[in-house]
Amino acid sequence: MKTIEHIPDQGILLFKTCMVTNEYPGIESSSTYAFDRLGVDYFVSDEQSCCTGLGFYFDLFDQLSTTAIAARNFAIAKKKGYPNITAMCSTCYAINKKACSLLNGNEEVRTKINSIFRQAGLDDLVYEQNSLDEVDNFYHVVEIFLSKAKRIGALNTIDLSGVRVAAHHACHYYKIHYDDVIGNPENPQLIDTIARSCGADVVEWYEDRTLTCGAGFSQRHINRETSLKVTHAKLESLKNAGVDLVLHMCPNCQIQYDRYQPVIEKEFGTKYDLVHMHISQFVALALGANPDKVCGFRTHSVPLDDFLNRLK
Amino acid sequence: MNQSNEQVGVFICHCGGNISDTVDIKSLKQAINTSNTIVFDHEYLCSNLGQNLIKKNIARCSLKKVVIGACTPAKHEKLFKKCVDDAGLNPAMLEVANIREQCSWAHSDDIDAVTQKAISLVRGKVRRVQNAKPLEPIQIPINPSALVIGGGIAGIDAALNLANNGVHTYLVERNATIGGNSAKIGKIFSPEKLEEECAMCSLSPLMNEVGLHPNITLMSCSEVENVSGSAGNFKVRVRKKARYVNDNCMACGRCSNVCPVFVENDFNCGVKDKKAISLSFAQAVPQIYSIDSEKCINLTGGTCSRCQDVCKVGAIDFDQKDEIVELNVGTIIAATGFDEFDASRKPQYGYGLFANVVTQMELARIFGVNGPTEGKLACPSNLSKPQRIVMIQCVGSRDEKPTGNRYCSRYCCMAALKHASLVKKKYPDVEVTICYIDMRAFGLYENYYRAAQDLGVSFVRGRPAEVIEKPDKSLVVKVEDTLTQKVREIPADLVVLSVAMEASTGTRQIAQTLNVTLGEDGFIKEKHSKLKPVDTSRDGIFVCGTAQSPKDITDTIAQSGLAAARTCAFISGGSITLDPEIARVDLSLCDGCGECLKCPFDAISMNDHGNVAINPLVCNGCGYCTVLCDQKAISIAGYTEEQIHAEIEGVLEKGDLLAFLSRNIAYATADNIGSSAATYPANTKIIRVPTTTIVTQSMIEQAFGAGARAVLMVEEPTDDPIGESVYSLALDNFQKLKEELGDPGGRIHFKKAYIPNYRGLASTLTTLSQEEVGE
Amino acid sequence: MSEKATGTLSGYDTPECETLAEIVKRSLRTSDSIGIDRCIQCGACTASCPAARFTDYNPREIVKRVMENDCSVIGDETIWNCFYCYTCHLRCPRNNSPSQVVQVLRQLSINEGTGLDKIDMLFEYGIIFAEIGVSKLPPLFFEQMETDFDEHWLEFKENLDEVRSELGLGPIGIRDNGRGEIRAILEGTGFFERVGRLEQTATTETDSKQSFRRDGK
Repeated sequence: MKTIEHIPDQGILLFKTCMVTNEYPGIESSSTYAFDRLGVDYFVSDEQSCCTGLGFYFDLFDQLSTTAIAARNFAIAKKKGYPNITAMCSTCYAINKKACSLLNGNEEVRTKINSIFRQAGLDDLVYEQNSLDEVDNFYHVVEIFLSKAKRIGALNTIDLSGVRVAAHHACHYYKIHYDDVIGNPENPQLIDTIARSCGADVVEWYEDRTLTCGAGFSQRHINRETSLKVTHAKLESLKNAGVDLVLHMCPNCQIQYDRYQPVIEKEFGTKYDLVHMHISQFVALALGANPDKVCGFRTHSVPLDDFLNRLK
Repeated sequence: MNQSNEQVGVFICHCGGNISDTVDIKSLKQAINTSNTIVFDHEYLCSNLGQNLIKKNIARCSLKKVVIGACTPAKHEKLFKKCVDDAGLNPAMLEVANIREQCSWAHSDDIDAVTQKAISLVRGKVRRVQNAKPLEPIQIPINPSALVIGGGIAGIDAALNLANNGVHTYLVERNATIGGNSAKIGKIFSPEKLEEECAMCSLSPLMNEVGLHPNITLMSCSEVENVSGSAGNFKVRVRKKARYVNDNCMACGRCSNVCPVFVENDFNCGVKDKKAISLSFAQAVPQIYSIDSEKCINLTGGTCSRCQDVCKVGAIDFDQKDEIVELNVGTIIAATGFDEFDASRKPQYGYGLFANVVTQMELARIFGVNGPTEGKLACPSNLSKPQRIVMIQCVGSRDEKPTGNRYCSRYCCMAALKHASLVKKKYPDVEVTICYIDMRAFGLYENYYRAAQDLGVSFVRGRPAEVIEKPDKSLVVKVEDTLTQKVREIPADLVVLSVAMEASTGTRQIAQTLNVTLGEDGFIKEKHSKLKPVDTSRDGIFVCGTAQSPKDITDTIAQSGLAAARTCAFISGGSITLDPEIARVDLSLCDGCGECLKCPFDAISMNDHGNVAINPLVCNGCGYCTVLCDQKAISIAGYTEEQIHAEIEGVLEKGDLLAFLSRNIAYATADNIGSSAATYPANTKIIRVPTTTIVTQSMIEQAFGAGARAVLMVEEPTDDPIGESVYSLALDNFQKLKEELGDPGGRIHFKKAYIPNYRGLASTLTTLSQEEVGE
Repeated sequence: MSEKATGTLSGYDTPECETLAEIVKRSLRTSDSIGIDRCIQCGACTASCPAARFTDYNPREIVKRVMENDCSVIGDETIWNCFYCYTCHLRCPRNNSPSQVVQVLRQLSINEGTGLDKIDMLFEYGIIFAEIGVSKLPPLFFEQMETDFDEHWLEFKENLDEVRSELGLGPIGIRDNGRGEIRAILEGTGFFERVGRLEQTATTETDSKQSFRRDGK
């Protein structure tokens, strides 16, 4: 089991994420802003590709291809001297972790992928067994922030008193590799702890706290109705718990809540007084980042203007 | 010639052809027959006739020493030792040459070669026994008193059994009273009756008996801190924690009445209905109040002495200090019990989040007339009567996840049935539903299950996913009824979790203090699940009750009685006889350098006179100390250097492979080769040693000097209790020897034994005994 | 050492074995420790499952059918209802993982052709990814989002590069398109070959059925 003492703040490769890149670029700029303020040593690579997680969970990509693409990104991380691969997205986190565990533990997969690299003349990508560790080299930004929660609290510039905050911990962070969650995987407290350190009124438990956001990868598209029913159920339980702000740790969840909240309001004939943001955006905001120029809240579908005004 | 003094009788066993078919007994006898030996043979030496032959000839020929050529010493050495003892010889005057497992059965060579090997093995033993000295058996009296750790139902029952059998027993309990979890549960189920019995009605008289028994010294508020010594003679350090009330307390309760501080009541599962000075519960034993030092105003630096002011006997003593008590006992019983699984580890069931989610133990307290609701069924949130109760089984049990336990906790199906029945009998209108995976009402308890069904208890087969609290504080249990294949949301006013039994923190701690093995689930591991269910990995230490595994009271009592019986049997032996083949110090040679104190088993110490002393209770005769001693002041009785040199001289012929095998697993593995009809060449000569740490440079030089082809040392594996500590030391010794001897041509070898892999050893022996000798 | 599958690309995710349970256990998609043989049908998965809550999908029953080697489960439409949220994986007391089991079943269904219509709109996704190293939603999904979301979103999408540069972020794709490395890797793993084959089957089937079916339309 991972412990908070193990979380590094050096050699961090901030792993770029397709849904951040395309939907909420503010999550990336918030992450780097917060890392700068917190003195985290990180690197963002313009060579690193996506993890293929979307394709994998759309049932298109196979495990071997996904693992090979991951191995390429691992080579970049090691070459640059930033071996602690840290995701803003829970699926990137899970995909990379599983790829690393296969590359370390499954000789056949490792040999096959290395021979693909060699045949393609990409010898510098060859993966050497145990050159990365599936536990010690893979993190999510929320873990880095958790390890700095006290400092974030001390540097906090916004008044969150009376703001009802609830966490939506992302399924692919705590349900896949449950052995490596900090704390009890049946009830992760990472986001709650960070929000509490900033003085927010944290809602400990709400009905459907562990329910998925509803995106369900292809579900959102091929079973749209079911997908929205799940999200609706979750939004209802958040509403019943009197939540003002939902904190996320995965851009896919954020799409499902932020982008689809207005759709659900329309289709289910209801109204929510809830805003959403990623933990990186929240931490950056707390550390004094500009809501538009750093956090990129303008790209959200649920406007945050009223909420932000309330904080002042 | 003073041969008569040195006359060695050699007895060769035919073993009904097992030996005589492949060994030419006549040639063997001829070869061994010398001026100072007399040789006999018999069809079966282990038979009464055979033993009589030995005894008769010891007397008739005034034999002083005996060598028996027969099966492996692992089989009948004890029998033959007793035989020569009966005939008036010291058992150390006997040697057994293993001419069956390691000779007649182990070689496919021709009869001459096998016979030649038998000759050399017997000759080696003759040489060896000529160097033997008598060894007196070591007898240590057993301290006739016992220690029972833990004052729950298991400890109480074990202590009473012992005390009633005349054994003086110390009962050490960490809490202020004995009684344990049994005192809390109110009603108990029993297999033959469908009625629930009052737990306290059975328990309270036993507790009082413990308090008054002349053979029991009850030590409450006490913890075992350290245990040294070994079976028969343990020294135990106990910390008696300050309770701030002296023994002259009359338990009148005036102090508690005036105390202004309310504290959480462990007895009522944390309800804040207890004072900082209190008795745990009305029937507590001893009837002495105690003060919660973390909550008392006076003891936390404030000013308050109300209890002291009202106490008529002056029993309150704020200055009381912890006390250290040393006990000497012969045996120990660990009865340290279980802890309830912390249900908040499964947050999906809402324990700790929703007031009306409770555990079975908490429901037991609600039912208790001395509980928080005085026996009235009520929801904790508003004390209203619940109309719908849902029980969830296997919370923290049968769960492979990191927050759960793999095992079945064994008591919970019955506890749920008991509480469901209690509810239905008292409040027939209340709906009770039990969500289960499998109902385990084993044995005669099935009657009880049927009775609960008759009472109208509902059963849903499925492990619930979650418990949800609605805005009106009512609860919903989400579960798939796997029999109807429907996901259900069962409404409930009270949800009761049947949580796992886990090895208590006390159990885990005491296992460490006692140095007994825990199983992978955290309970104290028994020596053999069927044949030795209450013996632990250490002699003289027993275990019973839920410290050993989850179980109900019926099974606990069965076990505590057995633990007491085993303890009595052990003590009634009076003394224990120890193996004499352990380390001995010749103080005239010892220069007091202290090197031997590196003993991996801590068996060697310096006594008050500055002399090296061996603790015979701890020493297992591994022999590591003999290598450490430059003065050669330490030797292993029965395995002196002279004896081993003599045996080497006797067995070795040019071109032989000489193998030193440690006496337990390594030697047994070699026996296995023979008994499994695998083979190796007859030019392999095996010498049994305590462990290969005693092999010295001069032994190897002697071997090569006599033309040995190679020398092999085979050590006990690391999962053996001796091998665990000795293996790495033996490997070091081997490497050191290799270095010192320069080892030309790689002729010294080392191997780890492993009983199932006798074929591996056979192939090593084959390779090495055929290897070309370099240079 | 892992006893995972060998051979062709689909051999890794859906190795050829005697039984469905064996395929599941040896598939690269499932954990080495998957406890499918130890399932006790307790229903914790189903009771925890968002798809079971709103549809006919029942992970406990799916696992039972896999254990019984009932191959009709491959063609069962409900396997396409799983959200891959892994709640069953987290909660299963026997360390089984219906979520992973279903991933393998879906691959089998795709290989058989019955599940092709669930992924045929995605073929382009792989090609774009190989080109720019970044995942982009297939046009069909994008169309739905265009209908669902307001103009604010569309405007943002149209000005994505600008928005990004205001936030101090660089271009979307990876540098020099990864110098063709990603394409080369995916060619090496056999990804394109497989997608091409599936695409061909899908086209033939669509042609023969002359039908176009999508859920929620």
